[in-house]
Amino acid sequence: MGIKIRNVTKAFGTYTAIQDINLQIQKGDFVALLGPSGSGKTTLLRLIAGLENLDAGKIFFNGIDYTAKTVKERKVGFVFQHYALFKHMTIFENVAFGLKVKPRKIRPTKKEIKEKVMELLKFVQLEHLADRYPAQLSGGQRQRIALARALAVEPEVLLLDEPFGALDAKVRQELRRWLREIHQKLNITTIFVTHDQEEALEMADTVVIMNHGKIEQIGSPEEVYEKPANAFVYSFLGKVNEFKGESLVTNFPHVKGTEEAVGYIRPHEIVLHQQSNENSIPAVVIHINKAGSTVRFELKRLDTDELFEVEMTSDHYKKQGPFHKGEILYAEFKNIVLFDRKTNSIQTEKNVQGEVVSAISSYMS
Amino acid sequence: MVIQSKRRRVLPGFGLSMGYTLIYLSFIVLIPIAVLFVKASTISFSEFWEIVTDKRVMDSYKLTFYTSFLAAVVNAIFGTLIAWVLVRYHFYGKRFVDALVDLPFALPTAVAGIALTAIYAPNGWIGQYFEEFGIKIAYTQIGIMIALTFIGFPFVVRSVQPVLQDLDRQYEEAAATLGASSSQIFFKIILPSIIPSVLTGFALAFARALGEYGSVVFIAGNMPMKTEIVPLLIITKLEQYDYSGAAVIAAVMLVISFLLLFLINFWQWRTARKHQVS
Repeated sequence: MGIKIRNVTKAFGTYTAIQDINLQIQKGDFVALLGPSGSGKTTLLRLIAGLENLDAGKIFFNGIDYTAKTVKERKVGFVFQHYALFKHMTIFENVAFGLKVKPRKIRPTKKEIKEKVMELLKFVQLEHLADRYPAQLSGGQRQRIALARALAVEPEVLLLDEPFGALDAKVRQELRRWLREIHQKLNITTIFVTHDQEEALEMADTVVIMNHGKIEQIGSPEEVYEKPANAFVYSFLGKVNEFKGESLVTNFPHVKGTEEAVGYIRPHEIVLHQQSNENSIPAVVIHINKAGSTVRFELKRLDTDELFEVEMTSDHYKKQGPFHKGEILYAEFKNIVLFDRKTNSIQTEKNVQGEVVSAISSYMS
Repeated sequence: MVIQSKRRRVLPGFGLSMGYTLIYLSFIVLIPIAVLFVKASTISFSEFWEIVTDKRVMDSYKLTFYTSFLAAVVNAIFGTLIAWVLVRYHFYGKRFVDALVDLPFALPTAVAGIALTAIYAPNGWIGQYFEEFGIKIAYTQIGIMIALTFIGFPFVVRSVQPVLQDLDRQYEEAAATLGASSSQIFFKIILPSIIPSVLTGFALAFARALGEYGSVVFIAGNMPMKTEIVPLLIITKLEQYDYSGAAVIAAVMLVISFLLLFLINFWQWRTARKHQVS
């Protein structure tokens, strides 16, 4: 099902959660609504589901105006952050709920319900838990049951609110892969909310980045990561080092920045040398973390005392020879990206996406 | 064994608090009740049987349990409704209504009884309209039920209200996204969650009604075998210096009440456990 959101606004009291949002979602798309907490992403999801009433604007499902339709009429599958499994019902009854509450005329027979539920439980690989109660299941299992329950009513769109937020890292990884597989198999339009940029970039086909009730950028994971529309998107998608003001202008010889600019650079884009060259800046190593496939350094600039982070692959680190805590290294800031501070201030009413920012000055070593 | 279990306890102060509990229970509850049974056992079994199976006594037992039960049922339904309104809707004067709920606790029951009688008597404010249709309220079993409903109704409201307040909206939302109508959401999702607290309130209201005296004697009319409740019968016996007779009636009443409350609590415990195991 294709979804179109037109000029939608929603306020809670004096707080505007969603501000004049426009968004078009294609049929079968796998969309991540990504943003920090308070960015309005969950509110947007709940507006699509009909769990909140909007203040202005319209929502279309397959071109039909659904703005005034109730939750029940929208026939969406919704998976809640904390699963919301009915505690007094067994897993079987939970999954069967959506089928049992259908009006008598279109309700499947008991036998059909049973077959359908068992089929779904098999689909989520938990058919052996049919007679248990939700409290007897682990978090990951509950999440799968919540999904099976939502799928039982054969929704045309699946909405998930922070689906993996409450799970530990390993289970989360597993469920991400699993949800992708399900999306590929069923090919239903899926929208999920997350504050985890890694999750959004890894899973989604389309990433919608939100901040302060507005959409900052829409695009494929590659697009938003490689060509961030503004400083917010750049800094939100992955680790960054930020430089501004005096330290940016005077100390980066190759950067033609102004006082108005702010410079961002990702930790893996900084190159460390043991000898100085004309574009490098001396810094002292504060901390080294060698666990995992990347080696992380924390360094302090000798000139401005600013801290920054550097990452390199462990292979690269091996080639460059070991660095030690307290050693002075020379950092080269390749690919530092400058954004005009004004255009990114939240107060501006202009469309942020349109006005891409100062020049990106790149320097090849 | 004892030492072992002592060592395993995490919370300190078990001995002190349990000792206090036992002493408290003994002096306030157990010893007075024991004395009652001792008094009742001073007569022979045949005398005992004669008192208990007396038509007037039997009828008063039936009346008391019957009216108390119905009053508690009414309270369970309407108390839940009031709790629902107080929790789920916002309206002007909500705090005032909320405070009104506790009034039956604060009012001397005799005052309540007199007020109810005045209103529901055949020439009273409300009673006159029923009188036209030949329905008598005061001085009948209906009147007793009204008095018992009055004194028992805060129990259900106050036991359901906090549970309803804590009920997470996401369950209702989940049910709605699965296509449930609002009545289906109420009966399949909300009611099962609050039923243990409704039962608690029901048991409390029922127990309170069984022992109620003050408000009932005014509205009941106290006709033997028709509108005479057990507490009144006990007072009557006491006034005739028939202490063992009064004790026997009270003891039987107590045993039946205890069994009924035990059953209700067992039922309540089972439904509550089903939710929690869960």
